[in-house]
Amino acid sequence: MPQQIEFRCQIVKRQQPNASFVILTFASPEIASLAMPGQFVNISADKFLRRPIGIMSVDREQGLFSVGIRIQGEGTLNLSVLQPGHYVSLLGPLGHGFKLDNYDRVITVGGGTGVFPLFFVQQYCQEHGIEGIAVCGYRSAAESILTEEFTKTACAVSFASDAGDMTIAGHAGHALAGVIADLIEKKADLSRTLIAACGPKIMMRTAAEQAAAAGISCQVSLEERMACGVGVCLVCVCKTKGSDGEIENSRCCADGPVFDAEAVVW
Amino acid sequence: MVNLGVSIGELKLKNPVIAASGTFGFGREMEKYYDLSNIGGISSKGLTIKPRLGNDVPRVAECDAGMLNSVGLQNPGIEYFIEHELPHMLSYGCVVIANIAGHQFEEYADMAKLLDKTDVDAIELNLSCPNVSSGCMAFGSDASMIRAVTESVKTVTNKPVWVKLTPNVTSVSEMALAAQDGGADAVSLINTLLGMVIDIETRRPVLKNNAGGYSGPGVKPVAVRMVNEVFNSVDIPVIGMGGIMNAADALEFMIAGACAVQVGTANLVIPTACNDIVISMEEWAQNHEVEEISSLTGCLRRW
Ligand SMILES: Cc1cc2nc3c(=O)[nH]c(=O)nc-3n(C[C@H](O)[C@H](O)[C@H](O)COP(=O)(O)OP(=O)(O)OC[C@H]3O[C@@H](n4cnc5c(N)ncnc54)[C@H](O)[C@@H]3O)c2cc1C
Ligand SMILES: Cc1cc2nc3c(=O)[nH]c(=O)nc-3n(C[C@H](O)[C@H](O)[C@H](O)COP(=O)(O)O)c2cc1C
Ligand code: FES
Repeated sequence: MPQQIEFRCQIVKRQQPNASFVILTFASPEIASLAMPGQFVNISADKFLRRPIGIMSVDREQGLFSVGIRIQGEGTLNLSVLQPGHYVSLLGPLGHGFKLDNYDRVITVGGGTGVFPLFFVQQYCQEHGIEGIAVCGYRSAAESILTEEFTKTACAVSFASDAGDMTIAGHAGHALAGVIADLIEKKADLSRTLIAACGPKIMMRTAAEQAAAAGISCQVSLEERMACGVGVCLVCVCKTKGSDGEIENSRCCADGPVFDAEAVVW
Repeated sequence: MVNLGVSIGELKLKNPVIAASGTFGFGREMEKYYDLSNIGGISSKGLTIKPRLGNDVPRVAECDAGMLNSVGLQNPGIEYFIEHELPHMLSYGCVVIANIAGHQFEEYADMAKLLDKTDVDAIELNLSCPNVSSGCMAFGSDASMIRAVTESVKTVTNKPVWVKLTPNVTSVSEMALAAQDGGADAVSLINTLLGMVIDIETRRPVLKNNAGGYSGPGVKPVAVRMVNEVFNSVDIPVIGMGGIMNAADALEFMIAGACAVQVGTANLVIPTACNDIVISMEEWAQNHEVEEISSLTGCLRRW
């Protein structure tokens, strides 16, 4: 039986926090009710292929969901100028998101556009009584995004910037090290803590290494160039280790985008 | 009432729309979007004797009116397919075609032998994949190899054998004739056109494999011309593809000489593309008082 369809969704709100980013809110009761943190939508952007964009938040009651987009090339530029009232074709929610339900505490580690899907993780934690700690790395305070929202939603936040003009000077890994050290000092039980990372590969790899060193579980959200976004074309693969340790090419879109950090071949 | 049914040799399809190899997986993901018994058939992802990991990423480069891919025949291998994917595919209620690709001459017949014992409806010989270093397209650009591979497969199976042709040759009709001489039951064309997209900032090809196969609406006029040329030179059925995005595109191929069409890249942009095309094709036929869709095949009025 068909379970998924293509949606024509109306944009109901457009926000532009700074020159590089826009946040679009769409009306779609279906996606708002089905979406889980870490899943994405594949959006028509007036180019030949759709563009994969992570889901940033949902309002299940009002049937709305939002995405945060960094203007990168033509496709995202086309999306960024769309105004409320406009209809867009999109597919979703797609992929496998973060598996959060076995954890009491989730530390999100985000950089670049990775902070957008992680906001949804924090929103989910807040709604489900999971202690959420948000670690975000930015280039500078001027280029930071969603800091107020993270502060309101998460139980604790730690913001780092390369420019050294936020709480922590350096990258997200430096901020994460501080958060882990704090938890260890407080003798917190880390067996039911998860690190959920999304952002540049080097940042996710560092987070995975820090997690492994501290004995904390870690899931990462990978990014690859996609076409279909639903798992049929095999263009979006990433190297993972199968259960028997053999190297596999997993589909980022359908098997991921979120993988257990231990399964990823960096 | 419009009859959308078509025959490819002995094989009957409820309509002429087949999902093209490599753009539909084994159907499992598309099943979530619509009832697959609505379409004429599905050609499996290209299968090889042993499982293949395929090429390194990036494997896709968007370009004007289409895309390049360099997947490199990632697949779980013929044995896995027969055991774990084919039974499910056969339950969809449409015709199922196994698309096979070899590195060595003998591999085609070896795979065909295995498939002969199954209920698969037809075997499509991929003699045209541009994304692997040996075999495949090298066979497909040599007429004597096409004939020999086709013959070797025909001697081990009674299943209908379709030969899928590459456009990356000087004379596609010469290749189609070779397939016919080898005993092919049909030819299907075109596979992707070799292309390259370059990032001018890094001065590197976007694809890790450097070159890849171009597909999508940009290749359609080339494909339609080739289908017409082949239709005019062979006596076996021609299955047309290349850039079909909607029913009008599909009808163009049929008028050029195709008895059925395959839809590839369109599935990657619109998951319901094949289903949409069947529906619009029926509407078109109704509005144009075409009772038998098969009557369109080759009705081109050349100047
Ligand atoms: C699962 C997933 C979730 C994502 N979530 C977000 C998000 O929440 N917010 C956000 O701003 N961006 C996100 N991205 C990245 C976003 O898809 C790209 O920035 C976008 O596709 C660029 O398109 P463009 O036309 O502007 O750029 P161009 O560079 O012109 O694009 C050319 C081609 O490359 C592809 N491409 C370019 N960069 C990327 C990239 N980083 N990842 C994947 N494909 C790329 C494009 O899709 C297109 O096919 C996500 C990517 C993936 C895979
Ligand atoms: C991502 C992708 C993978 C493909 N894989 C195969 C394959 O495994 N075997 C094959 O015979 N053709 C393969 N093809 C070619 C298509 O089946 C088809 O011949 C070609 O794309 C032209 O049709 P289109 O423009 O409708 O896509 C592939 C095409 C694409 C885009
Ligand atoms: S984008 Fe097609 S399989 Fe992932």
